[in-house]
Amino acid sequence: MNTAMDAHPVRLVVRDDLERSRLTVFFRLILAIPQFIWITVWTIGIFFVVVANWFVTVAAGRPATTLHGWTSAYVRYTVHFNAYLYLAANPYPGFTGEEGEYPIDLELPEPGPQERWKTFFRLFLAIPSLLLATALGGGFSTGFGSRRGNSRFSGFAGRGALAATCAVLGWFAILAQGRMPKGLRDASAYGIGYGAQVAAYLLLLTDRYPNADPTAMLDGVDRPPEHVVRLVGNADDLRFSRLTVFFRLPLAVPHILWLILWGIVAVLAVVANWFVTLFRGTPAGGLHRFVSRYVRYELHVYAFLYLVANPFPGFDGAPGRYPVDLVLPEPARQNRWKTGFRIILAIPALLVGTALGYGLFIAAVFTWFVALVRGAAPWGLRNYSAYVLRYQAQTNAYLALLTDAYPHASPLEGAPAPQQALFEPAA
Amino acid sequence: VTRRLSLVAALAAAWAAAAWFLWQSKVPSSLRLPHVDPHRYFTNPQLHAASSFSSVSDLLWVLGVVTEVVVLALFAWRGERFARESAAGPIGTGMLLGMLGFALVWLAQVPFTVLDLWWQRRHGLSNVGYATAVLGGWLALSAQFVFLCVALGVVMGLARLLGERWWIPAAPFFVGLVLLFAFVSPWLGTTHELRDPQLRATVRRLERIERVPNTPVVVAPVRDTTSVPNAEAEGLGPSRRVVLWDTLVYGPFTERELAVVVAHELGHLARHHIWKYVGWYALFAFPGAWAIARITRRRGGMANARAVPLALLVLVVLGLLALPLENAISRHMEAEADWMALRTTRDPAAAIGLFRGFVPTTLEEPSPSTFDYLLLENHPTIAQRISMALAWKRYAAQSP
Repeated sequence: MNTAMDAHPVRLVVRDDLERSRLTVFFRLILAIPQFIWITVWTIGIFFVVVANWFVTVAAGRPATTLHGWTSAYVRYTVHFNAYLYLAANPYPGFTGEEGEYPIDLELPEPGPQERWKTFFRLFLAIPSLLLATALGGGFSTGFGSRRGNSRFSGFAGRGALAATCAVLGWFAILAQGRMPKGLRDASAYGIGYGAQVAAYLLLLTDRYPNADPTAMLDGVDRPPEHVVRLVGNADDLRFSRLTVFFRLPLAVPHILWLILWGIVAVLAVVANWFVTLFRGTPAGGLHRFVSRYVRYELHVYAFLYLVANPFPGFDGAPGRYPVDLVLPEPARQNRWKTGFRIILAIPALLVGTALGYGLFIAAVFTWFVALVRGAAPWGLRNYSAYVLRYQAQTNAYLALLTDAYPHASPLEGAPAPQQALFEPAA
Repeated sequence: VTRRLSLVAALAAAWAAAAWFLWQSKVPSSLRLPHVDPHRYFTNPQLHAASSFSSVSDLLWVLGVVTEVVVLALFAWRGERFARESAAGPIGTGMLLGMLGFALVWLAQVPFTVLDLWWQRRHGLSNVGYATAVLGGWLALSAQFVFLCVALGVVMGLARLLGERWWIPAAPFFVGLVLLFAFVSPWLGTTHELRDPQLRATVRRLERIERVPNTPVVVAPVRDTTSVPNAEAEGLGPSRRVVLWDTLVYGPFTERELAVVVAHELGHLARHHIWKYVGWYALFAFPGAWAIARITRRRGGMANARAVPLALLVLVVLGLLALPLENAISRHMEAEADWMALRTTRDPAAAIGLFRGFVPTTLEEPSPSTFDYLLLENHPTIAQRISMALAWKRYAAQSP
């Protein structure tokens, strides 16, 4: 089954070198004020352009070239602006949305034929992707808000949980190091790119639905170093049983209860292992294996619950039995400082994990509907969910002292895989 | 063979002795219930409304049961194919098959659930919305699934350890589980204290007479979902209590009629009916578990996940076959509780008034058909209850 999608016509281009100016980063919000004002004005104007273009596209089956050009410039500008605001890029962006001049840029399609019915219902069709965009961030979320009954224009505001979280964490990191951590930059760029695809779809630049697949979005971006905690499994298997999809939540409840009960013992084991690791420098083998099983079981349960995998998982967290599985390290020497302050050090990873989790929930809800109708998961959403589960598993492994390797927020899998980025073939 | 026959005879004798012990009642065996003509106590519109309501309700129940059996039969036949949706071991796969079996039953019964709700709403008995009922049922599957997983985990685990004799330790385990549930269930619902001081004083007096002092009597807020009046005795030992639904306490019943209800429920506790229910459950659990073990042998026994769909079918069919007997046992205990209430309150007029009030508020037929009586009535019929009140009056007049 060929599940990988063709390249999306809206393509994110990342030429950023991660170097940042501490001064502009420190004052980033204030520096962005003129851009805020400009984008608000432009958004009001583009609203009328898009309405006109909607009539043209419904009538003629393709957008008007001039209106398409204006809208393209606007969408590209939102990417530049978001990249600047969310610290995914360093230089101050121009105000015109010129192509090829900014480190985080967007390639947009020329005006082409679009299906009329997709154009007619565009606003409704875009709702799922708009919701996911609010979780991932950047992109396009502008409109009118209401407070205490008084309508007011809220202007442009990137409200994405992921991009915003990465920006806040990145702000501190840049002030300390002068560089944006690659994981945070990649995650932020991914969120911005997805938002741009949503904007392009909603504003009639293309009728191709946004693709949440992180690997496709960051095509051409350097992969991070391989992490000791990574997913393995069969990436191509998107088949789902409609019956188990329909009853997925009740079916998962026994697992969730078992996870909670096991979790109580696992926490005690981690506390004991914390003392052992602190004094010996290496975790105790038995405790390490016990907690490893728990972390792997947690991944199996979440993969089942969030529709990343189809089969009902076992209750024992045994390796090699589930289609979405976890490679975990053997007990190895760990830095005592990192062990001593593990909970504090894990806070940024937990924040990113929480932001990703919001999107995971939305992705699971939409996957549920799609899988119920088609008997298969959407490729992009499944891969996004796999990315979140991988990151959360890395965070859990870090917190549970299975490794002192910090979770890597990049949506790209570290292991060089020629075909599938998020998975390796099962052993 | 002789040894086996002797063992079976001994077990049957022990079963019968235990059943005889559990069947003991305070209702005098010499008591003869006079015939009651429902037309003397109820108007024709009341009888017609109850009959009309019950006919559709019964039909929906029958359709629901037939659907359940058909779905489980189909599942027993072809359900094992769902094993491919599992990456768990044999026990986990058995759990999945068990859950899917009940999930399919629920799905097939959704139309009857909706129709039944529509029928109840039409008669003003339910205030539950359709979406709430369907979604709530879907979510309620979670609790059912948890119990099913525990049950199948125990059964399949024991079957892998002990082979066909898994039922010997499994039956006491399930009895223990029922006992545990009976003990903790009073703490699972939402209730508030009885606020009426006069009724509280009556409760204290009745508790003294029935020798169940300091039994909490509380009110359950159910008016948002139903208008049907009801009350329950629940719990064991320190958890025992009487729950009155607010539809009863704040319903069209007098203080004297409410006193009869409280005395009835206290009667359940005074006569240890919940313990007896557990005892009866134990008496059915052993032969039931044995039957499942025997019938599932052809699918490799309960150690094998393939046997689970068949086991579900057997369980449900056995439950249906035992239903008339279960209802008879329940009616027997309810009749004893009625007798205790009459003995305690010495107010047959209030009892008759209460039972008369049940017909317009619950749309229960005073004298239902034999089919209805055998399969659906776990309380004596309204006519029987009125009859018992009349019999008590005569009995009390004759007794010194």
